[in-house]
Amino acid sequence: MKLIYRILYRLSVALLIVLGIWGAFFYLTVIDEINDETDDSLEDYSETIIRKALAGQELPSNSNGSNNTYYLTQVSEEYARNNKKIRYSDEMIYIDEKEETEPARILKTIFRDQRENYFELTVSIPTIEKEDLQEAILWWIVFLYITLLLTILLINIWVFYRSMRPLYHLLNWLDHYTIGSSDLPPTSRTKITEFRKLNEAARQSAMRNEQIFQQQKQFIGNAAHEIQTPLAICQNRLEMLINQDNIAEEQLEELIKTHQTLEHIVKLNKSLLFLFKIDNGQFQENQKIKLNDIITKLTEDFREAYAYKNIQLTIIEEAYPEIVLNETLAVALISNLLKNAYIHNIPNGSIEIHISSEKLLFSNTGIEETLDENRIFERFYQGKKRQEHSTGLGLSIVHSIARFYHLPIRYFFNGKHNFEIKFHL
Amino acid sequence: MKILLVEDDPALREILQHSLQQERYVVELAPDYHTASQKTHDYTYDCILLDIMLPDGNGLSLLKELQESKKQGNVIIISAKDSLDDKVNGLDLGADDYLPKPFHLAELHARIKSVIRRKNRDGNIFTKYGNIKVNTDTFDVYVEGKIIELNRKEYDILLYFLNRPERLLNKSTLAEAVWGDHIDQTDNFDFIYAQIKNLRKKLMAAGATPEIKAVYGFGYKITLK
Repeated sequence: MKLIYRILYRLSVALLIVLGIWGAFFYLTVIDEINDETDDSLEDYSETIIRKALAGQELPSNSNGSNNTYYLTQVSEEYARNNKKIRYSDEMIYIDEKEETEPARILKTIFRDQRENYFELTVSIPTIEKEDLQEAILWWIVFLYITLLLTILLINIWVFYRSMRPLYHLLNWLDHYTIGSSDLPPTSRTKITEFRKLNEAARQSAMRNEQIFQQQKQFIGNAAHEIQTPLAICQNRLEMLINQDNIAEEQLEELIKTHQTLEHIVKLNKSLLFLFKIDNGQFQENQKIKLNDIITKLTEDFREAYAYKNIQLTIIEEAYPEIVLNETLAVALISNLLKNAYIHNIPNGSIEIHISSEKLLFSNTGIEETLDENRIFERFYQGKKRQEHSTGLGLSIVHSIARFYHLPIRYFFNGKHNFEIKFHL
Repeated sequence: MKILLVEDDPALREILQHSLQQERYVVELAPDYHTASQKTHDYTYDCILLDIMLPDGNGLSLLKELQESKKQGNVIIISAKDSLDDKVNGLDLGADDYLPKPFHLAELHARIKSVIRRKNRDGNIFTKYGNIKVNTDTFDVYVEGKIIELNRKEYDILLYFLNRPERLLNKSTLAEAVWGDHIDQTDNFDFIYAQIKNLRKKLMAAGATPEIKAVYGFGYKITLK
């Protein structure tokens, strides 16, 4: 969930409740006030009429332009005693002028003149206007409520993105960051302390990682490099011994085994150095490579070398992609994938190579279980069954090459082991 | 044949010297750039084995010096660096070959031989051993003057053996040399065995004096009967 959504969600919930309560309260107060006003004007009206009636003056005409109406009726003393002097009520009344019945607010006042006669004055104001007003107020409040809510949210979004810009800068950098690329985070152009701190922290951590990465790379490179000469010495001494004629067969056997182990170390060392060079970007000269040609040539050699395993090899050439790569790396990529497919295969198994215009797929039979896709490209990861003659670096080399050219590579298991490389041409 | 060995590591220097002397070369030693520069200035050598990284300088500068004094010739770079740049620069500066460490002694001797032969070529395009003669330009193989038919792999194997006579050759090294670097980790070398069996049969049928011997568990060796 994005931060802005969470903020908007929380803000909306809070505003809905608070603004809702506020709106309801406002509405009720206004309505109350309107009722009050209506009652006040009724009271004034009735007071005027009563005063005029008591004074014997001419009463105002019933139709004075407004919809207000009044009736003056004489009532018995008993009636006056049994009813409250002033009564408000909402009733339906018939309006002569309009010739229809309408809801109205009514004030009934009972009063007594000098001759001890009781009168009841009924004044009424049609509530239709009041309801119109209330309705209008309600609509306006709802409208304002929605507008306010939207405005607050929009302003929030705007403010959020404006103030969070340095954060998004940093996040954007993080998205594109790969270790070893020596691409440092954006320098703190922001004046906001928190973001400055965050940028600084990211910068320091990136620099530290970069340093460690470089040192590690340097160390592996140097170590592998320094080992070359002693290895050469050991190997050459053994070769001289092996080439001596007076050596006994048992000793020769031991020497040969030692020599084989030494060869393995040499291979390992060479592979490590190769990895180091790929990661260091030491293979720069690129050219258009015809993958199909390389695959055809290499499969011939491998087929011969692994004939004893009796593996069925099929190449499906759907397209003839030409990719810009370094030739050494292209050969290393294919041969390591191919070698992997052969070494970890079962006798009488099969290998299928599928070349299409946007991807290359190697699938081979092998042990009937999926391998850890997160670890398969790790150095020296060999699954459960360790292969005696494998350095455990082949797929690491494949991965390094793919990473160097930003070609997405993945492993998946569907009864067979599959390695897929996508090209972006 | 006089060889100058420029190498700063004493152990490697000793063993290379020993091995070269076994091959009946006269070996001169130079442990650093200074000595090497002096020696190449004063004497001429049939072949110089040159390590690139020396304590007091870069082997490539020595190559430059040789080029300037027009004394260049027969330099094989032996380097632990195995870097393409060094290789290209070295060959540009007149080196004849580039051998990354660690290398097999058999390989070193074959390279020295080939470099010296190339320089003193006297129109000789033939590699000979016993009564076998190979024309490396036309890829023809003669036994006692009669041509024999070999397939591509058999030819490569034979030539590899002929350039390294009487040396025990490791199966995996042979596989790497003939089939390519990528065939180095197989646990079964039957495919070499099959090719060598055929090659032997053909050589025997033609009455060749050299013979390819198997050395149990290790590899093969070509010797005269």
